[in-house]
Amino acid sequence: MNIIVDYDACEANGLCEGFAPDIFQLDDEDRLHVLAQPDEHSADRVRQAVLACPKVALSLAESPD
Amino acid sequence: MSAPSVTLHDPDVYERGVPHEFFAELRRAPRLYWQPAGPPGRGFWAVTRYDDVVAVSRDAETFSSYRGTAMLSDFDDDVVELQRAMMVNMDPPNHTRLRNLVNRGFTPRMVGKLEQSIRDICHDLVDEVAERGDADFVHEIAAQLPLAVIAELMGVPDSDREKLYDWSNRMIGFDDPEFQVDGSDGAVAASEIFAYANEFAERRRAEPRDDIVTKLVQPDANGDVLDALEFNMFFVLLIVAGNETTRNAAAGGMLTLLEHPEQWRRLREDRSLVPSAVEEILRWVSPVMDIRRTATRDTVVGGQQIHEGDKLVLFYPSANRDEAVFDQPDVFEIARDPNPHITFGGGGPHFCLGSHLARLELRMLFDALADRVPDIELAGPVRRLRSNFINGIKEMPVRLR
Repeated sequence: MNIIVDYDACEANGLCEGFAPDIFQLDDEDRLHVLAQPDEHSADRVRQAVLACPKVALSLAESPD
Repeated sequence: MSAPSVTLHDPDVYERGVPHEFFAELRRAPRLYWQPAGPPGRGFWAVTRYDDVVAVSRDAETFSSYRGTAMLSDFDDDVVELQRAMMVNMDPPNHTRLRNLVNRGFTPRMVGKLEQSIRDICHDLVDEVAERGDADFVHEIAAQLPLAVIAELMGVPDSDREKLYDWSNRMIGFDDPEFQVDGSDGAVAASEIFAYANEFAERRRAEPRDDIVTKLVQPDANGDVLDALEFNMFFVLLIVAGNETTRNAAAGGMLTLLEHPEQWRRLREDRSLVPSAVEEILRWVSPVMDIRRTATRDTVVGGQQIHEGDKLVLFYPSANRDEAVFDQPDVFEIARDPNPHITFGGGGPHFCLGSHLARLELRMLFDALADRVPDIELAGPVRRLRSNFINGIKEMPVRLR
């Protein structure tokens, strides 16, 4: 599972950071960084973060095996 | 049992109160309700369930804000053309460009910098009124807060605040005879704001300062900039959207707390409840009641066949009391958790730009009220705004001790 960020849509609302601060981080200039791809421990929180994004800027792609 | 049917576009309905019983009935129906045409406009599908409001909000390609504007009421073609210069009445990609230009000033990080000045504004407002003992909560507290914050944010001088107040009343109160000299007064107010905005932008171009207006009239990192009309339209939007919404969340929130004295007592005794109380006030009041979309193709919403060109109106007070999402939706509970209300919109391109600012203002205000005037009480009849758009209160006399 890979996180895809639509940087044109992202407005640094920071909800994703609230759900999964170990995965999403906003820097001092309001740019979003994905610190790691989700694993089994963070997958649920990442799914919540994706759903919560008010700008629909996050999506998930299943990793090719 | 069935609630009496109401005409969903009739401003008289909302002057008496939000028709929650009728909305509850519409949410239970297997298909969408069709509101037949009547002044001020065309017939429309009423979208009242939470999931449907979210789905429509997030699909801007199928549900346009541009085609018929985002307003429930229909206007003459020349007015529609003018309104299309405002972001709320645009679709991507035009909307995306403007939104990205103005968004820079409204992120949680940027808004957080205003915390101390908003706290000071709230304490000053409440202290000043508390000294006198009697006040109209709407004019003297609820309306002054967003005006002062917008003035601070945009660098508008204090002496011009009453002008902003008058303009915002006349722009939004187009259905309420008390705020309008005649039917065209909203347009007159808009042109007055335009002239003011023009002059204001000119001054900042000539003498740049460290404020949002200066940022907005200067090019961004990509060399893009708002042109004069775009800037003026944003100014109008800010005055209307930044004022009436926060004002009515504040007034409606205070009224709700006075109607639920045990919740007001809890909040005073445990200030850690302020953030969740503000979320519950936002859910309960839903200051913006509705937004309109126009279908760009045939589609289905909530089991209902929709045709291209159909008008849909999303009702937030209804979505925010949807039994499918909220436990005991008709109970006002300041510690409600989770509280995924969609008072700032159901998500997507038009999600409220000012949500973080509004939250901060309301938190600081209710904290200040709980601090300084714990024994606030109603001192006369509450008068509601006659509007099918804003869930508003015009007058709310209170006694403060």
